[in-house]
Amino acid sequence: MFFMIQERFIKIRSYIITFLCIITLNFFIPRLMPGDPFTFLSAEEGQIHTTFSYEDIQRYKSYYGLEQSLGRQYINYINNLFRGNLGYSIAYKEEVVTIIKNRMVWTLSLVVAAIFFSSLIGVILGSLSAYKRNTFLDKILYFDLIVLSEIPAFLIALLLLFFFSAHLKLFPLSGGISHFTAFTSFGEKAYDVLHHGTLPLLALILTRTGTFYLLTRNSMIHILEKDYMRTARGKGLKKGRILFLHGLKNAIPPVVTRIFLSLGSILGGAVLVENVFRYPGVGSLMREAVFLRDYPLIQGIFLIMTLLVIVMNYIAEILYKKMDPRVS
Amino acid sequence: MKKIIQRILEFSLVGKIALIVIGFFIVLAIFSSQLSHYPYDLPSGAALQPPSREHWMGTDDLGIDIWAQLCYGARVSIMVGFTTAFLSVAGGGLVGVCAGYYGGKIDGWMMRLTDLMMIIPQLPMMIVLGAFFGPSLKNIIFVLTLFSWTAPARIVRSKVLSIKEEKYILVAKSYGAGFFYMIQKHFLPQTFSLMMVSFIQLISRAIVAEAGLSFLGLGDPTSKSWGLMLNHGMAFRGIYFTDFWKWWILFPLVCILTMVLAVSFVGKEIERKEVSSYGKTTTKG
Amino acid sequence: MILKNKVFKKGSIVLLILLMLTSMVVGCSKTATNEDATVADTLELKETTDAEEPVIIRLTGGDYGYPTPFQHYPRGPGGYKMQLVFDSLLERDENGLIPWMAKEWEISEDGLEYTFTIHEDIQWQDGKPLTMEDIQFSFEYFEKHPPVWNPVTMDGKAFVEKIEIIDKDKIRFTISEKNVTILEKIGDVRMIPKHIWEAIEDPDAFQGEEAVIGCGPYLLTNYNKEHGTYEFTAFENYWGSKPVVEKIQFVPASDEVLAFENNEVDLASIGSDLLARYQGDSRFKIIQNPGFWGYRLLFNMEKKSIFKEKEVRQAIAYGIDQEELVEKVERGAAIVASAGYLPKDHIWYNDGVKKYPFDVEAAKERIGDRKITFQLLTGNSNTEVRIAELIKISLKEVGIDVDIKSVDTKTRDHAINTKDYEVALTGHGGWGSDADILRERYATTVQAGSSPSSNIIPGYENEEIKALAQQQLGETNVEKRKKIIFQLQEIIAEEVSFLPLYNTTGYTVYQPSKYDDWMYMYDHHTVSHSKLSYLQRK
Repeated sequence: MFFMIQERFIKIRSYIITFLCIITLNFFIPRLMPGDPFTFLSAEEGQIHTTFSYEDIQRYKSYYGLEQSLGRQYINYINNLFRGNLGYSIAYKEEVVTIIKNRMVWTLSLVVAAIFFSSLIGVILGSLSAYKRNTFLDKILYFDLIVLSEIPAFLIALLLLFFFSAHLKLFPLSGGISHFTAFTSFGEKAYDVLHHGTLPLLALILTRTGTFYLLTRNSMIHILEKDYMRTARGKGLKKGRILFLHGLKNAIPPVVTRIFLSLGSILGGAVLVENVFRYPGVGSLMREAVFLRDYPLIQGIFLIMTLLVIVMNYIAEILYKKMDPRVS
Repeated sequence: MKKIIQRILEFSLVGKIALIVIGFFIVLAIFSSQLSHYPYDLPSGAALQPPSREHWMGTDDLGIDIWAQLCYGARVSIMVGFTTAFLSVAGGGLVGVCAGYYGGKIDGWMMRLTDLMMIIPQLPMMIVLGAFFGPSLKNIIFVLTLFSWTAPARIVRSKVLSIKEEKYILVAKSYGAGFFYMIQKHFLPQTFSLMMVSFIQLISRAIVAEAGLSFLGLGDPTSKSWGLMLNHGMAFRGIYFTDFWKWWILFPLVCILTMVLAVSFVGKEIERKEVSSYGKTTTKG
Repeated sequence: MILKNKVFKKGSIVLLILLMLTSMVVGCSKTATNEDATVADTLELKETTDAEEPVIIRLTGGDYGYPTPFQHYPRGPGGYKMQLVFDSLLERDENGLIPWMAKEWEISEDGLEYTFTIHEDIQWQDGKPLTMEDIQFSFEYFEKHPPVWNPVTMDGKAFVEKIEIIDKDKIRFTISEKNVTILEKIGDVRMIPKHIWEAIEDPDAFQGEEAVIGCGPYLLTNYNKEHGTYEFTAFENYWGSKPVVEKIQFVPASDEVLAFENNEVDLASIGSDLLARYQGDSRFKIIQNPGFWGYRLLFNMEKKSIFKEKEVRQAIAYGIDQEELVEKVERGAAIVASAGYLPKDHIWYNDGVKKYPFDVEAAKERIGDRKITFQLLTGNSNTEVRIAELIKISLKEVGIDVDIKSVDTKTRDHAINTKDYEVALTGHGGWGSDADILRERYATTVQAGSSPSSNIIPGYENEEIKALAQQQLGETNVEKRKKIIFQLQEIIAEEVSFLPLYNTTGYTVYQPSKYDDWMYMYDHHTVSHSKLSYLQRK
């Protein structure tokens, strides 16, 4: 028992070190990029911008505490961080926490839904495929899912946008919700949100299902070949029972682990998809924040994303231990 | 060599076709300047000409021949893919061997480092680093490598760990065989096919990642890779309401997709052989 | 083997489906360009605009900040949204400055005193009356806390020396130095209510409903940061011209043209390739924007002294095919810029300035046996990269080697600021503003970092330009001033101390049956930015 506690302590300590490394990197890299948040000399074509005078830039810098030395700023940042203060966004003129909170809801629901559906579909198709190994169905599934998972998410997203929204007009072109409409009921609003979210979600699901499918298929094949499965089959248990009771029980732990581990990469996919659909999530914000050198916001988004991934990794590890008899 | 041909002959039809596709693109990349009699960086006709006998894939907004650009783009995209994959597998492999061979503290630190790399959300970090280093092809390869070496490192490490305790290794060690001798004689041959699988997976990942970065405006705008051609086309205002996309977007798009799919099918083909011959060490669970 | 064949077949089927999908989109665009019927189907049109029905305009949105003078973003059109809520003493129409909150004004003989007579019965949007104290307060507050768009300072210094309230509707500003651009600047200052703002210490963080109370024609009725939506509703007790548009709504759009086709927005800017789609259709009206947005090429003479030679700069001007840039990069939707800076659509454009048509011989002649190579720094937008590529190609013909370095916008701006470039390409708006812009672009000094201030064009000094630029600033006689400006443009064109490339024009399309009163301000290139577009005109 004591040993286990100690092991967990070591694990947690290593997570904390990782975390500190990341926030440090995350503090210095944006600040070492050339440029600052207040210099606007040029604009996107057709757009306008304000060029601040030297005096104005100095004033803004001292207002946001950027005239101090990097070391000083770093200490302030860490100090504020432990008080739960992520700072004030320079480009968006709002508390970073508020911005991220308002946007994270959209991204997270997209990502969670995408993981849920893609893993569900992946597991079902994967076990089906493993069970019907080397049949026509298996081959079709194998080929199609690999093709889909290799196509970059933003291309699928663009294709969906042009086909379903622009051409068939089945779905809205952009955004997360209809604007300036009074919803009469909660149901109506929920429908509207779902309606807007369908295509971004579909794009993510299409690209993610392949991973889960392959994982399930591989481990199922592996397990179906095992001796006790052969025995079970020999005993004449019903096919369906074999497949789902014995096989799935053993095939699912790696899938569950992967579900939690895939959060990081699916967040990356969401960045691209949100950019296509102008979806109001953190994905499009991240890119903007970097382009605008909005240091507090870059740090904030990064911090939250890292925290999420670390927590998920931790959960994945615990779950894996709980579910897989061989590990302990 | 014979062995490789033997292996290729064992490929399924899809695998063989995929291999031919890759070969085709490599030929395109190598002989790009011979294959098109128009330059890839100079206008050779009127702007936005549809495919014709002159320009059989049409021209882009500057009047540059698309076919010439595709040939040259093959070179850039393949170079990004191969270099990234090679660097990551070589670097990652070395890290993996060291970690596995020496074990202890070194192993601990190296694995912590791979943990760190795996936890960092990749795309956001690439956006930051892309802007930090500035958009040049070299930097893009560097950034992509930075995020790709962990997978081969882990795979190689676990393989080395498993063979380290084998008798012949212990014997060789007791005769005083050095680290590099061991790598050359034992670890490299044993982990080679695993690295090969990693290598191929990383190629398609790098090509896609480069296209994605170009799409976000973080590619090297002067590189003329396929991803960049696509990006130029898609950024053309109102292109979907004109006819231009039928050649300007479709051709690079088809190239990227077929290349990526071909690479990934070859990867799957090799992986399948590995899984069946090496047995269960590679698949977890 | 049979199985494998099937797999292959399946593979080709998948590819076929992919191709079919794409070909359907092909079909879609084909029918759309060839048959007008499709366009008619896609757009539901109102038969007649009912006079009773309130006009609601939808425009492409995006988050540009909370529309207060302090909270809107420095980038993008947030400032124009703010101006819908906050009025100023003067306003702009197609031809120039017009009386607005100030119904008339007087300038003293010596050009130092400006006396404005203000409209009666101006009301803040919270119902309180506007007084002269509010106007005085606004100026003083902005001097203490500079707003994002800052008209109360010139070259970093406040220019108003004294503000006196003469009567209950008269206010007088005294300035320290004679300056022809003062009227425009004073006229541009937004009025903020004293009773709300006097208690605000940190306006950069001041949000809430009170922060968006102005005396302009529109109330902000909805703002959502993450969606980038705004809704402005007509203020019923507005003192001036009646708002015709009841609501102006800004909604997000992934692609403006798609959104316009789907009737989600009422105004779209289009490139010249889409003209044919809407031209000759009476349901659409296309207007061409004036060219007040442009690209220019900066020479860093401090870092590369060869650019100090006028012949070299002229050679580059001759060696760049600007017509080709317009034709290829902008597909014709631009005009070649004037070497004298003020663009063709500017009210004081001098057509007689030296022109630099593409001329290999003239360029080579000026280069002589000099060997010129330079690095061209550009942003990473597609347009800029295209421009850079074309410049490289055409300069190669005259024997100048160009190496393109493309970085993100902020990096480029930073390099320009710190003079860390050889030649840089930059694009921005504001080419239509008062001719004093010549002084700002060619003859002011700037400071960056800790280095002492130097000419805005690094390494360049020209006493003649400086003197004329200073002279026009004090010249109150319009005709005389115009003469100086014309002369200035000629010298500038001869000198080409930086090279203006082209000014974008672009097109805007809308449905006149829905709303037809769009108007360009005399110095700006976007109709939806002008407040008068939404108000009743006499």
